[in-house]
Amino acid sequence: MRVMTLGHRQWRRLIRGTAGLAISLALATVLVSFLEQVAGITNASSAYLLAVVALAVRFGTAEAVLGAVGAFLLANYLFTQPVHTLTVLDPKEWLNLLLLLVVGVVVGQLAGRQRDRAETAELREREARGLFQVSRALATAADTGQAMRDVVRTLQVETGMSRVWIGLQGPSPLERVVADTGLGSEPARPGSETTRPGADPASPGSEPVGPARHELLKRVDGDEPARWVGLHAAPRSIRGVPGTDLAAYRVLIEAGERPLGSVWALRRRSLGAPAREETRLIAAAADQVGQALERDRLRRDATSVEVARQSEALKSALLDSVSHDLRTPIATIRAAAGSLIERQGDDDRAPIAEAIDRQAVHLDQLVTNLLDMTRIEAGELMPELHPVLLDDAVADAIDRMRSSLAGRDVQTDVPLDLPPVMADDVYLDAVLSNLLDNARKYSPDDAPIRVGACRPTTDGPVRLVVEDGGPGVPEEHLVRIFEKFYRGVPATGGSRRGSGIGLAIVRGLTEAMGGAVTAERSSLGGLAVTLDLAATTPATPP
Amino acid sequence: MSPGVEGARLLLVEDDADLRASLVSSLEAHGYSVREAGTARDGLVAWAAGRPDLLLLDLGLPDEDGLGVIIRVRREATTPILILSARHQERDRVEALDLGADDYLTKPFGVTEMLARVRALLRRAAGPSADPAGRVAVGNLVLDIARHVVTIGGARVELTPREFEVLKVLVTHAGRLVTHGRLLRAVWGSAYSEESHYAHVYVSQIRRKLSAADATGSARGLIVAEPGVGYRIAEP
Repeated sequence: MRVMTLGHRQWRRLIRGTAGLAISLALATVLVSFLEQVAGITNASSAYLLAVVALAVRFGTAEAVLGAVGAFLLANYLFTQPVHTLTVLDPKEWLNLLLLLVVGVVVGQLAGRQRDRAETAELREREARGLFQVSRALATAADTGQAMRDVVRTLQVETGMSRVWIGLQGPSPLERVVADTGLGSEPARPGSETTRPGADPASPGSEPVGPARHELLKRVDGDEPARWVGLHAAPRSIRGVPGTDLAAYRVLIEAGERPLGSVWALRRRSLGAPAREETRLIAAAADQVGQALERDRLRRDATSVEVARQSEALKSALLDSVSHDLRTPIATIRAAAGSLIERQGDDDRAPIAEAIDRQAVHLDQLVTNLLDMTRIEAGELMPELHPVLLDDAVADAIDRMRSSLAGRDVQTDVPLDLPPVMADDVYLDAVLSNLLDNARKYSPDDAPIRVGACRPTTDGPVRLVVEDGGPGVPEEHLVRIFEKFYRGVPATGGSRRGSGIGLAIVRGLTEAMGGAVTAERSSLGGLAVTLDLAATTPATPP
Repeated sequence: MSPGVEGARLLLVEDDADLRASLVSSLEAHGYSVREAGTARDGLVAWAAGRPDLLLLDLGLPDEDGLGVIIRVRREATTPILILSARHQERDRVEALDLGADDYLTKPFGVTEMLARVRALLRRAAGPSADPAGRVAVGNLVLDIARHVVTIGGARVELTPREFEVLKVLVTHAGRLVTHGRLLRAVWGSAYSEESHYAHVYVSQIRRKLSAADATGSARGLIVAEPGVGYRIAEP
């Protein structure tokens, strides 16, 4: 296909060149006839040089040289004795004709080279101008989107492309067009929709990949920064493209090795392949767009990191502030109730003050749990893990809950030879308090609470089990008990209502420490909650 | 002249007026004379004027961080300082203790607990930490510092030299909260101030030995752990 396309293009040029050649030589012949026969100037064949120069300027060196040869033959055939033959009798005439040929070739080449030089200079100037405009657009535009619209317009003007657009890769396999010159003054051909084959109706905002058949500009090593190589034929070839007089070109926009999108261009086939300068300009523009997009991305990343950091700080400050505002009144209530108790002595109002104090403590626990839950869900936990001895942690937690566990049968079985676990001692204390409190709340006063620990495998985690002799939780609810606001049936009366977040906190804190928590039925009859925490072998203190 | 526990002069620096009024009422009911201040500046003025026997200090004051008050008081005096802190101020709490505060209460706290802490701190400040023979006693626990001998309820407890050092630091600071960092610096040196598990390991061993030697069962609650902060000897 490619050979045919190129042949077609050469064919057109050949026809135009030949026509030009014929017309200019015909005109020159008329002029020579006029000069010789009407004006009576002998040997006016040198007027053919005008045709040669005209051909050189209009078409180029090859046509000019052909013109010189044609002029030589015509002058020989039409104006040299004997006319209408290519025979030359007079050696002087021979010299004349030879001079016409030589001068014609030389003049034609000089004029043609001049023309080529002027053309190259023009291309270079357009390249430089285009590059400058592209750079300026990308450097000064407030947003890259506007800059890219300026870039495609510049490329269209400076490279003689019919249409230039930039497509960026997105989540979909199709490129999204972010800047497009449109076909401008080009007639909108029926084939123009083939530049957007397979438009995805599901995502109207996203434009498809470009034309199915296009020349892809690839980066190559060496002096030349880039050149058009190969023909990329997409499997979903679109009918109609070869029939249009527009050829499609594509340059990948890359940042590092990562493809970001493409610069697409349509060019009339009659104009031939883009010149080296035009190719370089498009490639340079693609590189600069790639850099601008990369810069945008980095800036966006930096901004989002900063936003995340600030929102974390804000969340933390907000939680501290809420914590302070909720606890200050409770602190005052407790102090006031305590003051009444201290002052009243054995007054019969003392039990009322004690009830106020007790309920304030309960309220404080509720606030603590709700704030802990909020911190867990906000990802605000920052555990400081270090080796912790489980037997001490368990004994301390039970000690601290001495008053609420008063009268309960708490059995502990934590072997002294267990290795320490990696834990945050504040979190671990909260976990143990919640588990003990839960066991107390959901079992009758005479039921035992058992805390045991072991290491099931010699190199595995240390396992801690807190179980109670209460009614337990139905098997089908076991998976749900660590959910927020799940509440079991309290063992006794309404005074032991739980908030339903104790076990959710247990799970949140345990997982924050890298541990795991599970629940099952206890051999005591109630609930058994199992914690697995990583064992550690810390350095021996000196 | 060392002030007695009863009738001691206290200074309460707390910005919440309602809380302050209730606390003052409770403290006065127990025979303490209490001065109040609502800001750090007023607190320092009152401290300089009256030189109270004990300072109850809120960390979150409106005009200045309570930590600044601790620093200025500690430059001139060893007056016991009891911190009243909000729960989210864990880091400030440890810093306050390391700057020289003696103990802390987390709001909201019970009045009974506050009175117990005040009593313990005043008793520590009032009496000499060791008798003329160089012995320190807390409840039925006696440390003979000169001879490196520990007894509990008269029964001898065999401690290693390091364990003895740890217990000595805790007992000579009885009634005060000793942070992990301070304990580690005192026993192992400042290079080990982050190795809090050393403290856990040694305290655990000491607790076991004391419990094994103690017939009364009172040894178990003697060393109280404050998770994430440190240890205190609870005075019976």
